[in-house]
Amino acid sequence: MNPFSYSRAADPQEAINGIGQNPAAKFLGGGTNLIDLMKMGVETPPHLIDVNRLALAEVEELPNGGGVRIGALVRNSDLAEHALITQRYPMLSEALLAGASPQLRNLATTGGNLLQRTRCYYFYDPAFPQCNKRVPGSGCGALNGFNRVHAILGQSEQCIATNPSDMNVALAALDAVVQVQGSKGARSIPIGDFHRLPGSTPNVETNLQADELITAVDLPAIPFATRSHYLKVRDRASYAFALVSVAAALDLDGRQIKSARVALGGVAHKPWRASKAEQVLAGKEANEQTFRAAAEAELAAAKGYKHNSFKIELAKRAIVSALTAVAGMT
Amino acid sequence: MAETSILGSARDRVDGKLKVTGAAKYAVEFEVPKCAYAWPVESNIAKGKIAAIDFSAAKSVPGVLTVLTHENAPKPKNPTKPIIPEQLQGIRNEERLPLSDDLVHYAGQYVALVVAETIPAAQYAASLVRVTYTPTEPILNLEAAQKDAKQPARNNNEKVQPKKGDVGKAFADSSLTKIEQTYITPTETHNPIEMSGTIAHWEADDKLTLYDATQFVKGGQSQLAHAWDLPVENVRVICPYVGGAFGCKGAIWPHVLLAATAAKATGVPVKFHLPRKSMFTSAGHRTPTRQTLTLAASSDGKLKGMQHVSQTLTSTVGQFTESCGARSTALMYASDAIKIEETVYPVNVATPTFMRAPGECPGTYALECAMDELAIALKMDPVQLRMVNHAENDPIKDVPFSAKFLKECYQMGAERFGWSKRNPQPGSMKDGDLLVGWGMATKTYPAHKMVAAGKIIYKTDGTATVQCATHDLGTGAYTAFTEISAEQFGIPFEKITFELGKSDYPFGPVAGGSNSTATVGTALHELAGLFHKSLAELAIKDAKSPLFQQKAEEIAMVAPGRIGLRSDRGKSDSYNDLLKRAGRDSLEAESKVGTPEQNKKFTFQSFGADFVEVKIDPLLPRVQVTRVVSVVNGGRIVNAKTARSQILGGVIMGIGMALTETTEYDPMTGLPVTRNLADYHVMTNADAPSIDVAFVGEPDFEFNPIGCRGLGEIGITGIAAAVANAVFHATGKRVRDLPITVDKLLDVA
Repeated sequence: MNPFSYSRAADPQEAINGIGQNPAAKFLGGGTNLIDLMKMGVETPPHLIDVNRLALAEVEELPNGGGVRIGALVRNSDLAEHALITQRYPMLSEALLAGASPQLRNLATTGGNLLQRTRCYYFYDPAFPQCNKRVPGSGCGALNGFNRVHAILGQSEQCIATNPSDMNVALAALDAVVQVQGSKGARSIPIGDFHRLPGSTPNVETNLQADELITAVDLPAIPFATRSHYLKVRDRASYAFALVSVAAALDLDGRQIKSARVALGGVAHKPWRASKAEQVLAGKEANEQTFRAAAEAELAAAKGYKHNSFKIELAKRAIVSALTAVAGMT
Repeated sequence: MAETSILGSARDRVDGKLKVTGAAKYAVEFEVPKCAYAWPVESNIAKGKIAAIDFSAAKSVPGVLTVLTHENAPKPKNPTKPIIPEQLQGIRNEERLPLSDDLVHYAGQYVALVVAETIPAAQYAASLVRVTYTPTEPILNLEAAQKDAKQPARNNNEKVQPKKGDVGKAFADSSLTKIEQTYITPTETHNPIEMSGTIAHWEADDKLTLYDATQFVKGGQSQLAHAWDLPVENVRVICPYVGGAFGCKGAIWPHVLLAATAAKATGVPVKFHLPRKSMFTSAGHRTPTRQTLTLAASSDGKLKGMQHVSQTLTSTVGQFTESCGARSTALMYASDAIKIEETVYPVNVATPTFMRAPGECPGTYALECAMDELAIALKMDPVQLRMVNHAENDPIKDVPFSAKFLKECYQMGAERFGWSKRNPQPGSMKDGDLLVGWGMATKTYPAHKMVAAGKIIYKTDGTATVQCATHDLGTGAYTAFTEISAEQFGIPFEKITFELGKSDYPFGPVAGGSNSTATVGTALHELAGLFHKSLAELAIKDAKSPLFQQKAEEIAMVAPGRIGLRSDRGKSDSYNDLLKRAGRDSLEAESKVGTPEQNKKFTFQSFGADFVEVKIDPLLPRVQVTRVVSVVNGGRIVNAKTARSQILGGVIMGIGMALTETTEYDPMTGLPVTRNLADYHVMTNADAPSIDVAFVGEPDFEFNPIGCRGLGEIGITGIAAAVANAVFHATGKRVRDLPITVDKLLDVA
């Protein structure tokens, strides 16, 4: 771990001022990912600004009816068990509980989870000479290396890493809006625009600016999200990152699908909103053929590598399984 | 032997409270004043030469004491591995002295070592060391290693290519049913919770104390004494508790040697505690295996020929060999012809070592899958096939097993599991939408016994301290040895303090090969004989003793706390009365370590049977093990609770082997990629099924006077095959390469 200095911010403005003075600094939330990466020598910030004392730890109803605002410092475990979440957005609660371990969830924050970095082996261990995220221009070690957990959608020759978060997948399906505050003021970033595909700059993972602080995540009112589910396929029953995961919600009129929300995890550099699948589902009858057709449409563009081609079929089946579960809910 | 009921109960661990309160002090937790910290710089090429090491930036980090490389590290006087019997004198699987020259033999090899006043300073400075290499093409797999392949005649002094009869004749007989299949297991890594680590403290120029997380304190003592050319007693090794080992702490690894070197170089004690990632390259692993099983049987199921050909890897700086068939297939079934063959390929990968049931674990996986395939080919029940081929005698040596009880294991296991309700048709059993599979396998592991000695200090306040340089890996050895001591010495359990984990004590062998309870139990039995003889010698000279002028050899313990005449137990005297009349407040006895005995009248081997249920969603076919019944003959059970825990742990680790565990390597650098607990998937609580453990059989007094056999390793054998067989039964798909992950079953539905 490199030597670093530390300060604690009392309010968001102090945090933003701090990072303005030292753009290489990092905000410290739960630290469950950042500290880990610092110990591995992957992250080497010269300064940490502790934001844990900021008053951003509330979950509250939004005034305009039905929506919910989640403070950036709400811990994953608190969020997962919050009544507004378990009742209105069960898929988000399930996604949170499918991630990490209870100890990690007790510390990990909502804002920090949004910024969780990939678990690609080649990124995580500086012993590997190649990683365009860690050392831009060095190449992608995973491309011809061991790539079982890597991306099948939206990747580039420069990076085939995936976003490891479960929470982000549910947020993508729910059209969450990330509230940020920076030196130029506050702005809202729709979740779909928050994370980036790797392209030729995989080291730039989000559209958050260096001096911007995440203050909250807003969930819009989606009445049918009460009928939703997060399905995670992983190598063991707990404490493993997703091979593929699906967040799904259905707005049903009898057996007729009025609209659907589907997002995938473990398949791309960002939480993958499955809009092609949603288009296929809209207006159709909720049955296995429909679900399979939606899955086929979404994965049509998928590309696998030496060790991860199985993810294409697995993702299709996970979509069918998740939608079947949602359709069967009463 | 005294009639007592001390052994066999489910007594709580004597160290349980220390463990759960954090009071048990592990090796690297000892506080040694002025201790500095070492952090390694590891090679990220698999083969080549170090061209240059620039550590100027590292040296300038505040707190850094030194940066050691092959150019400046002090060299021990005897850099090479001692040529001495490993069982007595320690094990060095990686034979090369670390930092001895500029050669790189595998990725992850230590190429420099930073020593600093704090761990963060050492770690940060290590990240600043710049090593440039002249790489050469590494040999990373057995295909590339063909020309250096070897077929060892012996491994650990045991014949590993045994043969009986003519398998070729059986395989050529067209009237027989034959199967031939190849089974693959990946590299597996032990992953105990406690990482390996050593604190080295030179208390004088020629006196070294090591606090070392080890399965062999006496081995570490001998190895370091040899390396630094010191009298053995000048080296002390201390390790009262071990946080799991599974074999990876049996040998001394480069960090143990380097801790002593770094302490010598800096003049202060040095702690070298491995980071988790280094446990995948510098503390051993289980080699990957490729095993081809050929079985031929007549229509009644009787085996006529069995051939087990295995290919395994070792490193280019060691010779450790995983012998897959020699102590499993070679004595499992009564077959007319048996041929075991193994070939070892040296590669530029870190050195492998013992991992729970080395050889027998992958060996039983391959054999017991093949037996399942044979049962299907014969249209026979898998249990019936094994019953038909039950071996009364060791099939190769043709001597009886000392105490086998395997048929009882099958019978009890089948009954507890409900095997009779099994529909043999694959894919026929369902639980709602889930496919249900039932599989079984035979377990086996040799009964090993080595040599040990002990010391007792008995006091007339009724307390006793018993010492042996043995080990408790977290398995319950403290408790078992206190119980055996209570029985053998005739002293109440609560009054005995059993001490282990220190090289100052009388000899204890490596805690490996499931030998400890049998070995140390035997030593305690012998020590009790000496103790009672010392008391008898006082008694026969004591006019006030009822045993006055009797013959010492006719006196033995007749009841707890009393010695008396064997022929007239009424004539007896209490330990304390004797000692008090002699004016003594204590009595000591100490035994000497003997030579290992060779009993050729019997084969000592444990057996058992596993029955496994899996459930699989055909759409998302990740295998979930839902139920296991494991029945084992382990001779006399010393402690029902810790014995059961041994089998539970072995079963769960075996499920991990079957379903998830694999150390994957990067094909470019040769570095492991799944080298942390997030990516190397050991089983979690959520993966652990209901496990029903039962023991059958009688004490094995042919094996040792306690009648016990080890249980540390047999638990993992057989399980992976039982799971794989259950997966086949559920799905009709035979997966012959472990682990059976979801991707390998996607073509089932």
